[in-house]
Amino acid sequence: MTARCFSDYKDLIEEGDLTLIWVSRDNIKPVRMQSEETFNTRYGSFPHKDIIGKPYGSQIAIRTKGSNKFAFIHVLQPTPELWTLSLPHRTQIVYTPDSSYIMQKLNCSPHSKVIEAGTGSGSFSHAFARSVGHLFSFEFHHVRYEQALEEFKEHGLIDDNVTITHRDVCQGGFTIEKGDTTSYEFTNDEAAASLNANVVFLDLPAPWDAIPHLDSVIATEEKVGLCCFSPCIEQVDKTLEALEKYGWTDVEMVEIQGRQYESRRQMVRSLDDALERLRDIKRHKLQGVERRKRMFDNTIDTSDEKIEKRNGDGIPLTEKAKFNPFGKGSRIKEGDSNYKWKEVTKVESEIKSHTSYLTFAFKVINKSRDEEQVNEILQSMDKQSKD
Amino acid sequence: MEPLTTIDFNQYVIVRLPSKNYKIVELKPNTSISLGKFGAFEVNDIIGYPFGLTFEIYYDNEESTDVGKTDSKPKNKIPIGKVRLLSEEVKDESNDKDDSPSEPPLSTKEKSISVELSNINSSATNQNLVNMGSKAQELTIGEIEKMKQESLSSKEIIDKIIKSHKSFHNKTVYSQEKYLNRKKQKFAKYFTVEYLSSSNLLQFLIDKGDIQRILDMSQESMGMLLNLGNIQPNGNYLCMDETGGLLVYFLMERMFGGDNESKSKGKVVVIHENEHANLDLLKFANYSEKFIKEHVHTISLLDFFEPPTLEEIQERFTPLPKEEARALKGGKKNSYYRRLRWYNTQLQVMELTGKFLYDGLVVATTLHLPTVVPKLAEKVHGSRPIVCYGQFKETLLELAHTLYSDLRFLAPSILEVRCRPYQSIRGKLHPLMTMKGGGGYLMWCHKVIPAPEPTSEVTAEVESSGATIGEHDAKKQKV
Repeated sequence: MTARCFSDYKDLIEEGDLTLIWVSRDNIKPVRMQSEETFNTRYGSFPHKDIIGKPYGSQIAIRTKGSNKFAFIHVLQPTPELWTLSLPHRTQIVYTPDSSYIMQKLNCSPHSKVIEAGTGSGSFSHAFARSVGHLFSFEFHHVRYEQALEEFKEHGLIDDNVTITHRDVCQGGFTIEKGDTTSYEFTNDEAAASLNANVVFLDLPAPWDAIPHLDSVIATEEKVGLCCFSPCIEQVDKTLEALEKYGWTDVEMVEIQGRQYESRRQMVRSLDDALERLRDIKRHKLQGVERRKRMFDNTIDTSDEKIEKRNGDGIPLTEKAKFNPFGKGSRIKEGDSNYKWKEVTKVESEIKSHTSYLTFAFKVINKSRDEEQVNEILQSMDKQSKD
Repeated sequence: MEPLTTIDFNQYVIVRLPSKNYKIVELKPNTSISLGKFGAFEVNDIIGYPFGLTFEIYYDNEESTDVGKTDSKPKNKIPIGKVRLLSEEVKDESNDKDDSPSEPPLSTKEKSISVELSNINSSATNQNLVNMGSKAQELTIGEIEKMKQESLSSKEIIDKIIKSHKSFHNKTVYSQEKYLNRKKQKFAKYFTVEYLSSSNLLQFLIDKGDIQRILDMSQESMGMLLNLGNIQPNGNYLCMDETGGLLVYFLMERMFGGDNESKSKGKVVVIHENEHANLDLLKFANYSEKFIKEHVHTISLLDFFEPPTLEEIQERFTPLPKEEARALKGGKKNSYYRRLRWYNTQLQVMELTGKFLYDGLVVATTLHLPTVVPKLAEKVHGSRPIVCYGQFKETLLELAHTLYSDLRFLAPSILEVRCRPYQSIRGKLHPLMTMKGGGGYLMWCHKVIPAPEPTSEVTAEVESSGATIGEHDAKKQKV
């Protein structure tokens, strides 16, 4: 059995743990700790045995070969959000701004039983698995199913609260029966799994073909939430048609925009300083002109040589302007404490301007109440108040 | 009954009104609830139905329901009606709140047109529609008020209003729909009962105009905060919440799903800047007092950073052996147990502020973040996330710069997430013309443990060459 590396908080890095090694923001590598292995970067090698036994979050430093420099990595425990940044892409993935909104909108909690189709790269599956009671994931691509199954097993998700099934849900619906290609473990007298889902997420090219199959697998006694994730507006249009036809209501369609900012600094350069600098330049220029004039007029006597520098031809040198409040010409590091800085934000140079449209809808299958039960409750309350 | 999915007694629920406003009500047995101009209903009549259903309030002619009811408020003049489930067809397009100008007409009339309009002529364009304001309506305000007082059903009133509208047939079918929806928002007598989720509570507070109190939070920012914070049922989280408990409620709902029976051991430790924590909004939460006591602890900033020592606590109080305590009488006994509670709380404060390391830090405060966050983060375990919510990007920016220069924090980032709502009518899909601004920003980073200082000779060299590489380098380029 594999440890639940995503959902249990671990203190120390142990042999066999799946870790995420943070080299830089866009270089996060999943690495399983094996004491005889090393983790190689272009800056040097990090033996796993130097990592094992340290607390999670430890920075590991090595001295690079040859040059006497240091290289660092950080060893982190996987979380679904870090996994999303590091995972091997099998398909286009659902990023955190979208997945977190969907989870919040559908009120995901340990009470949720979720259907997800398809599994894809499993990015969203990990986030669901962390937060919900059970996840039933469906993938129609056989190789991707195998890969996801293997990955979920390694991450301890299958042993915990995830079931993955190989299925084209548009064709075959969501019912999981004995004999299906699935990670579901049937009990002896069980012919089909009871999904009873109250949250449905459809990331499919044609969700309208899957929607008719939902009624037999969603919870009947409570409000069920559905989200369809489609990049094209035409897909949304066809989805809306199917939702209306199959009795889904409270339809809402939204788009999520996530942005990330870099924290930067810009030098504070005042008008007064700019003016003063120009004055300074002007002053030096005039001095230079004057000196040259004096030289050509042959009015310079030798005693002047002591105070005036000259170049090889005996022409007096003009001193460089001295007032330099902005470090002109020299390379100033952002944040150099000799200068004044204003903190600023800069948006990423490339932003995800469109991921997908999120179409939400809700359905309550059984809209009645158990009159008998309600009467019983009312009567027992009456009794209590009389007693 | 299952209180998470079914409307149950003694529960707070949120009621959505035709005006799109929200109301939080407590469902006390044998009482009635007034929704103002939308009518009033008996609590007992809706118990046992699943959440998410829409009920219509109707009145049959034997109008006497509000007479002789002892528990309805005396000043309540709104007659209490009966309720029935609203049939699907009458339900309005819930997202047609767009006030865009009339759309170009489509060639075919859509099937999904409201039943109220099915027998009414419409125009292909608005060519013949002349704006004559209120003159188009032949009914006077007085007449409409009279109908309302006669407790006619909303359908009857709206039918009459439409019939008395002189140029209604000159409107396009879309504009007729919009007109109908506006009238429904005014006269319809129906309501939807929803579970009081964290998002619904937030929506309620936004509607109520409490934007400042909740620091301009949005559902999308909170969802992102919960995911980035890696909030789990068994985690122990350090939290500052200046919204009166909204953030704590978001955490609790994600951790326990409203379930009083949850066996999860997770805890939220709330650090507060006043002598007492303000978690007012938790009064709407349907968790028992016992459950909240077990899973939410509050510690003042002072106690957190300068916790009492065992000696100090024991100096003021030492518990008696159990038999002796039981033998105490009357007032003495009460005061003993009060002091015992104090003693236990103090011991708990010691435990929660001692060597204990938390699984995450989640902050929504207007205190100066660069002074607060690094101090609180000392109690956060390595590799665990720190997420700060801020109404303004600038305060988070200052924090990000501070954390960036501190090796205990990995890759502080400032994030923004916005949800753009669309009109979701087939053939007329477009973003809504207006949406709520604001929603705040998040700072996200991970607590890490810097490697020990390199040996002195090497330090000198590294410093002189300025050539640390790896993440340090990447940080410089990226952050």
